[in-house]
Amino acid sequence: MKHSVSSVLLALIVIVAMLAGCTTPVVPQPADQAAGAGDTAASTGKTKVTWLTLSEWPGTDSVAADFMVDNPDIELVLEKVAFNDLFQQIQIRLSSGSDTPDVVSVDVPLVAGYGVRNWLAPLDDLYTPEEKADILEAAYAAGSHEGSMIAAPQFTSTQLLFINKDLFEQAGLPVPGPDDRLTYEQIADLAKQLTQDTDGDGVTDVWGFTWEQTIRIYQLQAMAASLGGKAIGDDGLTAEGVINAQPWVDAYTYYSKAFNEWKFAPPSDVDAPELFAQGKLAMMIAGPWQIQRYSTMNEGAGPGFNWSVSRHPYFEGGEIVTPTGSWHIGINAKSKNIDAAKRVVKWFTTTKGAELWWRNASGDFPAQKSVLSLFQTDPQFEKGTFAYMKVAADEATVNPVPRALTPGFLEYEQILQTTFDDISKGADVQTALDTAAQRIQRELDKYR
Amino acid sequence: MTKAEKWVPYFFLSPALLLIVFFRIFPAVSGFRESLYATSFASGGVKSFVGLQNFQGIFSDPVGLQSVWVTLRFNLIVNPLQIGLALLLALLINQALRGIDFFRGIYLLPIAISLNVTAIIWGLVLNQNGLMNGLLRAVGLPAQPFLQSPDQALWSIIMMASWVGVAYWALFILAGLQGVSQELYEAAEIDGAGLAQRFIRITLPLLRRVLVFVLVADTIANFLLFVPVLILTRGGPQLSTNTLMFEAYRRGFVFGDFGSSSAMIMLLLIATMAIVGVEFWLLRTGE
Repeated sequence: MKHSVSSVLLALIVIVAMLAGCTTPVVPQPADQAAGAGDTAASTGKTKVTWLTLSEWPGTDSVAADFMVDNPDIELVLEKVAFNDLFQQIQIRLSSGSDTPDVVSVDVPLVAGYGVRNWLAPLDDLYTPEEKADILEAAYAAGSHEGSMIAAPQFTSTQLLFINKDLFEQAGLPVPGPDDRLTYEQIADLAKQLTQDTDGDGVTDVWGFTWEQTIRIYQLQAMAASLGGKAIGDDGLTAEGVINAQPWVDAYTYYSKAFNEWKFAPPSDVDAPELFAQGKLAMMIAGPWQIQRYSTMNEGAGPGFNWSVSRHPYFEGGEIVTPTGSWHIGINAKSKNIDAAKRVVKWFTTTKGAELWWRNASGDFPAQKSVLSLFQTDPQFEKGTFAYMKVAADEATVNPVPRALTPGFLEYEQILQTTFDDISKGADVQTALDTAAQRIQRELDKYR
Repeated sequence: MTKAEKWVPYFFLSPALLLIVFFRIFPAVSGFRESLYATSFASGGVKSFVGLQNFQGIFSDPVGLQSVWVTLRFNLIVNPLQIGLALLLALLINQALRGIDFFRGIYLLPIAISLNVTAIIWGLVLNQNGLMNGLLRAVGLPAQPFLQSPDQALWSIIMMASWVGVAYWALFILAGLQGVSQELYEAAEIDGAGLAQRFIRITLPLLRRVLVFVLVADTIANFLLFVPVLILTRGGPQLSTNTLMFEAYRRGFVFGDFGSSSAMIMLLLIATMAIVGVEFWLLRTGE
């Protein structure tokens, strides 16, 4: 028996040992950081600045190279992370107190959350009065927390309805024009007619309609807002009674039916922009960056079918509202290279860098008025599908509604993401929203 | 034995013990300490001692309670299932049947594939328009929402985990089976013992040590199972696969609430130790 007791004790120690590795956060450190990234590189005499940013943006390396031509004493290293992992990477690395990355791409609704955690360095002295005047006022305000600017505006955004004209014509349906604005009810009617099982095997081959970011509040909030639903309580910390109120229930009942009853929307894990590019999706709400993508794909030949855009939809009898907000750039408050990092941020968010990024990198809408004005004067936007950029530029001014202003946006967004995923898979809308409201409220209470 | 010689075993053990202390025990203690603190964001991210509040929070929060229930439900099903099937598989492989050599080669394939890849492949197989539903449609059966339905998602995870686990644990049981002397079976057969009697009286008692190891190790592995949940369901649909391990990950690495996350890990640690202690007691040899 003595032997048996000692065996148990030994086994328990081993179990503790095996479990223990799961208890303490591990901060990922890319190999190049271990070698002292951020410090002045002895061999080159350059100051190394690391920027944690999105991997999905094309052409960012070429713009970074342009920056280094203008700033030969700085080595700018882009650490690219996929969209779905970026927020978590920022959260883990900045919360650990690490001095890298020096610069981070910041999704604008997260500014308040990063602000209350003191993760970002103040940037109030970044711009001259003229440079500040060139930035859209709403974007500048969105990058500020408690009166201090902590994230410099890089982009703003809007959403359009992308249309596969060929599928409409094959179905004998009138193609909405660039200035038409459909209601969600009209979209449902059209989408039902456009959804097809072409080979009769019981599996849909051509889908009627969906959203680019199918389960993200960025795109979906405009639905509830169109019916008068608020994003969050006025104090920025109340979810109960707001996100499970009637406008939300009505808006996302439509969303649920699109997947489960009318079945014109593909499953939520499908890559909608890719499905559209393959000609298997008739309508999609997506950002203007897709105009650049579809216009330039196949060496400028386009996706192989005729496509166009129309205005962002709304509910019949509801208000016309459009999504807005986009990426800013912030500086890690613990960075050892704040001055060099500020030069990076300034270059990318003022005239030359902003224009180069917009033209050669992601194609996102710039937050600088001088670059936005190029839509009206640049001959590139007079021809072909690039001209839809002008439609987008105009749409960006139509009642844009920012996302919830709350320091708990990360939690709010993540919980709603799983909620929309559940609703798209058939969960009862009211129950799902009630559960989401409770969960979000629990998280928001941490900020009171 | 001289006084110096007494220290020799400890000297040889010291590298392993030091590694365990620094990389396992120390993080566990540190995790326990973290579980007693909470960060108040209203006061600029100040960390303060809250005692056992993070633990109370798990049980007062419906999501925390749900994750405890999902973890228990998952383990109550998956551990007996995997060990039962692993035992059957090991007994089968141990037989001298025609073509068994070929089967002995292929049954190990699930172990040779990384769990991440396995989860991604199963995700494609169980997709709404995936291979499994294609096969169901081909034989005239309706397609199933394997990963989309809250009633089926946990079972899909159990199936995927068992696809890997059964083959893996069967390997250990097979080693145990091959250590049983054939003479014992022959003697029992001469004495008139049937197949069932030989299994109950000879095989099971002599497999006891191996089965204890498999039971303990399998329980720990399944309590900590994370990858399939992260890749296939992310705790959904409707929190039906939201295990404690995944909820701890979500709270720590997604929401930045390391106090609550550490409390969940401590709870997992305590629960696992308790269950493993009971397993040891149930399978004690009586020595």
